[in-house]
Amino acid sequence: MRELTITTPEHVNIKLEPAGSGSRFLAVLIDSFITTAIAAVIYSVAVNIVPRLVAAAIFVTASFILTWGWHVYFEVKRHGRTIGKRALSLRVVDARGLPVTLYQSIVRNVARIVDFLPAFYGVGALVNMLRSDRKRLGDILADTLVIRESQPLAYRGELGAERHFNPLRTPRALRLIRHRVSLEEREFLLALCLRAQKMSPAARYDLMEEVAKTYRQKLDIEEEAISGENLVRDLTAVLFSRMR
Amino acid sequence: MNIESFISERRPVWQHLDTILKRAEARGDALSRDELHELVELYRRTCSDLNRVQSNTANPEILGYLNQLTGRAYRFVYRAAHETPVWATFKHLISTEIPATFRRERLAVAAAAAAMLLGVLFGAAAVLIDPANGRRLIPPMFFTERPRDRVDRIEKGSERIDNVEKALFFSASLYTHNIKVSMLAFTLGALTIIGTILLLFYNGMILGAIATMYILDDVPLFFFAWVGPHGALELPAIIFGAAAGLVAGRAFLMPGNLSRAASLRRVLPSVWRMLIGTALTLVCAGIIEGSFSQFSYRVFPYPMKIAVAVLLFTGLMGYLFLRGLGDEA
Repeated sequence: MRELTITTPEHVNIKLEPAGSGSRFLAVLIDSFITTAIAAVIYSVAVNIVPRLVAAAIFVTASFILTWGWHVYFEVKRHGRTIGKRALSLRVVDARGLPVTLYQSIVRNVARIVDFLPAFYGVGALVNMLRSDRKRLGDILADTLVIRESQPLAYRGELGAERHFNPLRTPRALRLIRHRVSLEEREFLLALCLRAQKMSPAARYDLMEEVAKTYRQKLDIEEEAISGENLVRDLTAVLFSRMR
Repeated sequence: MNIESFISERRPVWQHLDTILKRAEARGDALSRDELHELVELYRRTCSDLNRVQSNTANPEILGYLNQLTGRAYRFVYRAAHETPVWATFKHLISTEIPATFRRERLAVAAAAAAMLLGVLFGAAAVLIDPANGRRLIPPMFFTERPRDRVDRIEKGSERIDNVEKALFFSASLYTHNIKVSMLAFTLGALTIIGTILLLFYNGMILGAIATMYILDDVPLFFFAWVGPHGALELPAIIFGAAAGLVAGRAFLMPGNLSRAASLRRVLPSVWRMLIGTALTLVCAGIIEGSFSQFSYRVFPYPMKIAVAVLLFTGLMGYLFLRGLGDEA
């Protein structure tokens, strides 16, 4: 999935992550459930006050306004999030990163009628899956984007526990680590150590040996006695220790 | 850079910004002057933090969080100041913008009208050449009995719409349906152009064929009195909505030396005004179709219904062609 980058006037690049069709479908499902429920409540109240056919007329009008107005209202007035989108951390934004305008919102929601063909999200889901920016037809016409917002930060500072004796703490090894291990690899190794507990033993062993093999070559480590997992943990500990 | 200590040091700032944004998002809009100043300051600090984090780590969690936070604040700080009171915007829309847009996009409107007119002529010609063609062109659901039988049934029998409730319900079903059809016409046009042209031609053809059948069956007055009052608004509205599709389709499919997105943005103001105009006209047309159009000649004589149709049509055309004409130059 392609990330879109927006450069702010402060020359900072903000990355927007387009949301996939699954979560968007679910959000629409939640929204249509709520709008249908509201229309049903309106009908059941109206039917007790006015004649049945008038209540039906009110129901038809109310569900029409709710179906089409719901999205426009929330997108413009509630910062791009309907209740369903909010529940799934989605947001509609202008493809340039600004808030959606009323005009864009109207156009993208009018086009929903084709995106919904032949049944609940047919064309829309198809177009969405074919495009790297995950736009449906309405998004294309209005130049808008549905993005996924990351969850609040739950950053775990914990590291792979360092063994008392770390064979990588030699000047030569430390120098090679500094020169040959990139930032991305550092994050990868941390993630690997943190997730190791959740893997099946066989998979954990194979993966650790595989990774360790790469770093044995990269860092010229000849010592065969250390297990793959120990090597990976030692390496991670060195990378994240404060003495770098 | 030690990322862990950086995070623990800066976290309060981010959390503060997050709180302000959450409050602002929940409340809809208004931020007080102090909050706004604070927001801008926190935004700048978070921006520079994001910059540092981007060059010092590839950790998806911290990058994702700061991206999300900066993006949200960015939309607050740099939001376009386009918001005006809804009611004033609406009044301006009706009083000047819709007719002005209609005249500005007259080429697209003319093209849409021509497509429908061609359909009408085609349908009429087909029925004139061989009356049996009527059955072939018109979907069976619209063709249940001979025109004269239908006229007899409606004019001699009891009224179809005999109370306000029925009229309201029928009207509501009609205008919601018609608005959906014009949304479809718009979107098809915006994506393919030809889709809208075909849709207009097809609908024109059915209209032309039915009209000719009623004329051949010697009941023309009934037909015009029955279709006229709402058709006078409905047909122009659908043409207008389809023309919006053509405008968007031209921008989308033939953007010239602009990007598709930029080209679409340029026509967006015209397009949404035309769409609103279409929807509003269709609501009026639906109410007329659900009540006035359905009454037999015993309630409203034909000349009266046709006079209403002519009046509505000239009124609409006068509004579209003449309203605010002097103000534009």
